[in-house]
Amino acid sequence: MATHFAVMVIVIPLMSALLTPVIGWWKKELCYPWAVAVLLVTVVCSIGVLNQVITGGPFSYYLGGWSPPWGIEYAIDYLNAFVLIIISFVALTVGIYSKKSVQKEMPEKVVPFYTLFLLLVTGLFGIVVTGDLFNVFVFLEIGALSCYALIAIGRDGAPFAAFRYIIMGTIGASFYLIGVGYLYMATGSLNMHDVAQLLPELYDSKVVLTAGIFMVVGISIEMALYPLHAWAPNAYADAPSTVSALIAPLMTKVAAYLMIRVMFTVFKPSFFIETIPVTTVLTWMAAVAIVLGSIYAIAQTDLKKMLSYSVVAQIGYIALGIGLANRYGLTGAVLHILNEALTKGCVFLVAGAIVYKMGACNIYDFKNLYRKMPFTMSAFLIGAFSMVGIPPTCGFFSKIYLIMGAIDAGKWIFVAVLLFSSILNVVYFFRVIQIATFEKPMPDYGRDKAYESVRMDEVPLSMLIPIQVMAVGILLAGIFSSKIISTAIQFVIPVGF
Amino acid sequence: MKVVATILIILTGALLIYGVEDMPDWGDPNSPANSHVSPKYIQEALEKTATPNIVTAVLADYRGYDTMGETTVIFTAGMACILMLRKKRKGEGD
Amino acid sequence: MLEYIVSKYNFWAYVILLLIGLYAMVGKKNLVKKLIGMNIFQSAVILFYISIGVKKGGATVPIFLGDAHAAHGHGHALIDVASYINPLPHVLMLTAIVVSIATTGVALAVLILIFRRYKTLELDEIMKIRKDTGV
Repeated sequence: MATHFAVMVIVIPLMSALLTPVIGWWKKELCYPWAVAVLLVTVVCSIGVLNQVITGGPFSYYLGGWSPPWGIEYAIDYLNAFVLIIISFVALTVGIYSKKSVQKEMPEKVVPFYTLFLLLVTGLFGIVVTGDLFNVFVFLEIGALSCYALIAIGRDGAPFAAFRYIIMGTIGASFYLIGVGYLYMATGSLNMHDVAQLLPELYDSKVVLTAGIFMVVGISIEMALYPLHAWAPNAYADAPSTVSALIAPLMTKVAAYLMIRVMFTVFKPSFFIETIPVTTVLTWMAAVAIVLGSIYAIAQTDLKKMLSYSVVAQIGYIALGIGLANRYGLTGAVLHILNEALTKGCVFLVAGAIVYKMGACNIYDFKNLYRKMPFTMSAFLIGAFSMVGIPPTCGFFSKIYLIMGAIDAGKWIFVAVLLFSSILNVVYFFRVIQIATFEKPMPDYGRDKAYESVRMDEVPLSMLIPIQVMAVGILLAGIFSSKIISTAIQFVIPVGF
Repeated sequence: MKVVATILIILTGALLIYGVEDMPDWGDPNSPANSHVSPKYIQEALEKTATPNIVTAVLADYRGYDTMGETTVIFTAGMACILMLRKKRKGEGD
Repeated sequence: MLEYIVSKYNFWAYVILLLIGLYAMVGKKNLVKKLIGMNIFQSAVILFYISIGVKKGGATVPIFLGDAHAAHGHGHALIDVASYINPLPHVLMLTAIVVSIATTGVALAVLILIFRRYKTLELDEIMKIRKDTGV
């Protein structure tokens, strides 16, 4: 039974997404409870998968009973199960949050919204859980199509941002497909583990080299790694608030997972270190991404645009960890995927709450926001601590591992970049907190104390609880980070590192 | 943008031309693609799936999961168009 | 040098299409032309996969015609692998064609939304409107 969880985690959201229009056009109010129930079942399934991997080791599931490489295989190991839990948890939290936000921003589009929500979650699960190279492309396109549509219904400049995302996302997915085609031409198989076995004797073939470069470039476009990041800031900023909170923590991190899969499972890491210096290029691009992303974030006045540039910078951290390709670097990268998902989920949910209350999110309008929305802003504070890397939040531990990885590889410049970027993060996050907490609006003549007249005006409970859950999650992930690493992450590292 | 586009196609073209050297000849029946996984499809498709069309057998049986994904893609595209383009007509209660 | 061009001319067909499609997607200013470039680009990828699965020497399509009923009841009849071309790339490309159509459909719907908002489909005019209105 437990092995069937791996398939149920895809089948349940998929079949529910097909049923959502039927339910929704019968009774519109049922869409939200239906979606939340489905996401809850998915969280249970993904916990079951992780449990199965921890107690029984990695397992495979043959779809349709055909053994690989003639059929499609689901190969679940520690990395898969770990990312599955992250996705399902973030999706559930944003799903619970979405009720009031969707009602306010797009009330007549509730039914297709929840359908595409569940389809997006299906697509993300499909990329993570599969062990077949072409299957990744199919589910990548399911997720991407849902993303394009969900972004395009946002605020004013959203369709243009969605179109730019369509063009660049299609280039990325098609480059990945060309890479898979070259691998098929060289080895004759599409199964990840089969190709990994057949590939070592072909490492000096130019076809394999071309395949590797195309796949890495394609996945980098999906991952929004500088300089291929141009679609990300506008797409995440102009989307509706629920959609930003769903896509920003998840889409790029799943692409980062795919990069780890391609670089460490399909191709052995020695290929990317010795044969073609992809890891060197990756680390330098990551360093540029970290610095430039943070600098662009400082220059923004719109909260969501600032957070989107922060996503670009944080992807630089994960790419740096992957590119360093040693034990500490990879541990830091995988832990940072967890950290990023929770933190970006938290801060984008806070941004959505601010938009719900104030209609827009220009940071210079945030005066006295701390008194109006204390719970929301304290969650934002925890998120900011995690971005900067202050203990005991999870961000501190992932940064420590990345710094140790850089020291281990002897590249002191990256240590300097990591420390410098923490300072940049402090600048843009604490500017928001300073305006919200310490600046008082113009004194209201006729009253004695201006700040007493500001009453607490929080967002509704269905939006507040998910924000607090995410913030608590960041703290818990930090406190238990060593346990997380010893249980799940340390088995992700391939042997020999 | 035209400069960026030109640089991009020069780089991509160079990479593709670089990769052509080790490609198997066109139509080689013993290339890895034609000799690793496919012979079993051709030999066993008829007796295991009772379908004379091998492409259908692979599409619907061996790799039926990809076909399910493909139909989901069509459904997603349809819902995406409904989400983006459907306008409520005036006077229609909901 | 000439041998490269002659023995692998399937390759040149798809490379030229791919580069044309890529240039149109990135370099052209009209949004519809970018979309058409995307279609050309994806068609080139489809041609690439199909050309992997060809077998020279009289191979035919992977369909058992006519003698299907005869082979049906005889178990493992002698099926000559070299006389049927590789079916797997065709299968993969059926899915890729459908994905390409779906993406084109969604992109056209997004173009309708853009046109409703900006009343034009030229990239430089849209950027100008965005800069002027501060969007």
